[in-house]
Amino acid sequence: MTATPEQQTTTQTALRPVGGGGVVVVERKQPRQSYGQGIAKGMGVVIRHFAKSFTTRIDDKSDQVGMFTVEYPEERMELPEAYRNMPILLYDDKTGQELCTSCFQCERICPPKVIHITQAKDPNTGKPVPAAEEFVIEYDSCMSCGLCHEVCPFDAIKMDHFFELSTHDHLSMDRNKAVLDRPISYYQAIAPNLWAAVEANAMKKLQNNIKRRPGNIGVAPHMIGKAQKALPTAGAGGARPAAGARTAAPVAAMGKNMPPEKVERLKSIRAANAAKRGGAVPSAEETLLAASAYTSATASPESGLHTAESDAGLAPSPATTPAPATGPVAAVGQNMAEDKKARLEAIRAAKRAQRGDE
Amino acid sequence: MRAMWEFFFGVGWFATLLSYITITTAILISGSLIMMLLTWIERRGLAYMQDRKGPNRVGPFGLLQPVAEAIKTITKEDITPTEADRWVHFLAPVVILASTVAAFAVIPWGNLIPVDINVGVLYIVAISAVHTVGILMAGWASNNKFALLGGMRGVAQAISYEIPQVISLVAIVMLVGSMSVVDVIQHQMDPYGNILSWHIFTPVGLLAFVVFWIASLAEGERPPFDNPEAESELVAGYMTEYGGMKFAVLFLANYLTNFAICAVTAGVFLGGGNGPGSDIPILGTLLSVIYFLAKSLGLFFVMVWIRGVVPRLRTDELMHFAWKFLLPLALVNIFSTSLWIAITRWGAEQGMGVAEALGEPGSIARLAVAWLVTGVINVVAFFVVARINATRGITTYQATPTAV
Repeated sequence: MTATPEQQTTTQTALRPVGGGGVVVVERKQPRQSYGQGIAKGMGVVIRHFAKSFTTRIDDKSDQVGMFTVEYPEERMELPEAYRNMPILLYDDKTGQELCTSCFQCERICPPKVIHITQAKDPNTGKPVPAAEEFVIEYDSCMSCGLCHEVCPFDAIKMDHFFELSTHDHLSMDRNKAVLDRPISYYQAIAPNLWAAVEANAMKKLQNNIKRRPGNIGVAPHMIGKAQKALPTAGAGGARPAAGARTAAPVAAMGKNMPPEKVERLKSIRAANAAKRGGAVPSAEETLLAASAYTSATASPESGLHTAESDAGLAPSPATTPAPATGPVAAVGQNMAEDKKARLEAIRAAKRAQRGDE
Repeated sequence: MRAMWEFFFGVGWFATLLSYITITTAILISGSLIMMLLTWIERRGLAYMQDRKGPNRVGPFGLLQPVAEAIKTITKEDITPTEADRWVHFLAPVVILASTVAAFAVIPWGNLIPVDINVGVLYIVAISAVHTVGILMAGWASNNKFALLGGMRGVAQAISYEIPQVISLVAIVMLVGSMSVVDVIQHQMDPYGNILSWHIFTPVGLLAFVVFWIASLAEGERPPFDNPEAESELVAGYMTEYGGMKFAVLFLANYLTNFAICAVTAGVFLGGGNGPGSDIPILGTLLSVIYFLAKSLGLFFVMVWIRGVVPRLRTDELMHFAWKFLLPLALVNIFSTSLWIAITRWGAEQGMGVAEALGEPGSIARLAVAWLVTGVINVVAFFVVARINATRGITTYQATPTAV
């Protein structure tokens, strides 16, 4: 650019008011202090602070004079709502259902990569379920950036206000789901406004997700057995689901996506499982049957255990929520004779299913 | 047996030795206790000036904090740098502490005084100057640039400020007519009433006090004259390479120097242990000790107060201040002191026939005239010297607008 000197000058003059490096002259009441006036003034200010520190406390942050020390272990300052320390997971107070759907957004965005999620799978189908099987955060390497909390589309991961984390036990800083889980009411207590802003959306999403979680999958570990069966009452926009939908849901889900033979087979597996639990020791034949039935599902002992658990969770209230498709299962556990009957029926069903496949 | 008893207690030498040892022990113990108290006053005082609490956890009001720190420093490892001059490095804290403690020999604790020597004031000035040698030893022997710089600064500063300090004391010595510390204190009880007889309440004494106090702050390396150990520039100055108990000794010496300064100032300008009832035989001694401690600790609080207000001087400003401001004032003060003496005490014999007209030596009229004359001289001198310094003495830097 070729600009004449005049042009340059005008440009710079025009820029000046915006702060283009000009010297700002501040008018003061006493333009010049000499003969120790400045020191005398300073001494006055300091002794005023000294005297006021004994009598007053700074409460308002705009106060200039007074004691500002908060003697920490005894006194605590109120933390701002948006204060963030370490991430925690939320679950619904009533049902114990976690808000996390293991979408892996937080794991991806985490800058130090300290979040590790295992997605839960339906033990029957082996299909992923919108819930976290395990959720580990390495607190020792977490940098409290809060990105996980910001990115979470289900408002499942939030930043805690608890900061007294020092410990001698390094390994205890790897926090798993059981330790990370907090009820929504806890978060509501520490950040009421923040939660109110997202509550409706979060609860709506949670309801939709619960429908796709069989058994106790997605329930906070310590809430299993204690949780109510009812769905969480949604905030503003949540639709109230029909009673008993939850128990029926897995079966309904099966029916939607699978061929009828498969549904049949799954039913038989359920029955077999129930029989296994009911009977003392599963015979070799039964085991074989069960194994053959788990064609597509993972047969790891862990998932097997999970199934048993989920059944146990369902068992207490079969009468209130009768599900026709799981009729044989519901009968299980009342007495031995019926139990045996059911087992036989299950075996038959399994054989039928096998034949059907062939 | 009886002969042995006679040998030890019949003759004076053993009893004298015993009494001296007792007094020395008492001074050393009370010195350590005073140092603990001073650190506490300093830290809590500064804290309250800065709107915070300060150490308040160990013991009541945090008074035992220095004990905790003493235990910590004692248990720490004693480190001497490999390249250091081992013996000088070891001796430096000893020299510094010894010279400081020796000054306490003539400092009166109210009516109690360890030794009353007839050159007490001179002795204090002389013996406290020895600690300059210790500072240089510490700075040199550490073989560390920070330490050496700190040591050099300490020496330069101490030598410069000794001059206004001593000359301001000369004025008091002229007034008293004796160098004995006891005489100086006695002189302040003499003529009229009680509190107004303190030297600080005369124009001459006030100016001497101001100069002496400022120079003493520099002598004791108190902020704003703490250049020898300026944390932001020199780590810890000549104390950089000291740790554990040696550092504790240097620290102790530092605070003892400060206390000695306060005690001398209290004695010379504030009447020492003088106060209401301090001349009653036995109770008066106790009272005088209390008065003395109150005055000294009050002065120490002023030290802390100044520390809380004034930022550290640049080294060249420091020198300017000593040579161009304090020294002229101290010299003018000697002149007005001689005028004061001439007006209040001299008669026709000494060539002051004019003053005879005002009344007897020591009369109110002569005092009033002396007050007026010396007051005017001192105030004018203060403003003239300050004015000269403000306009052409100390270089002041003005922010010049950058070329646009």
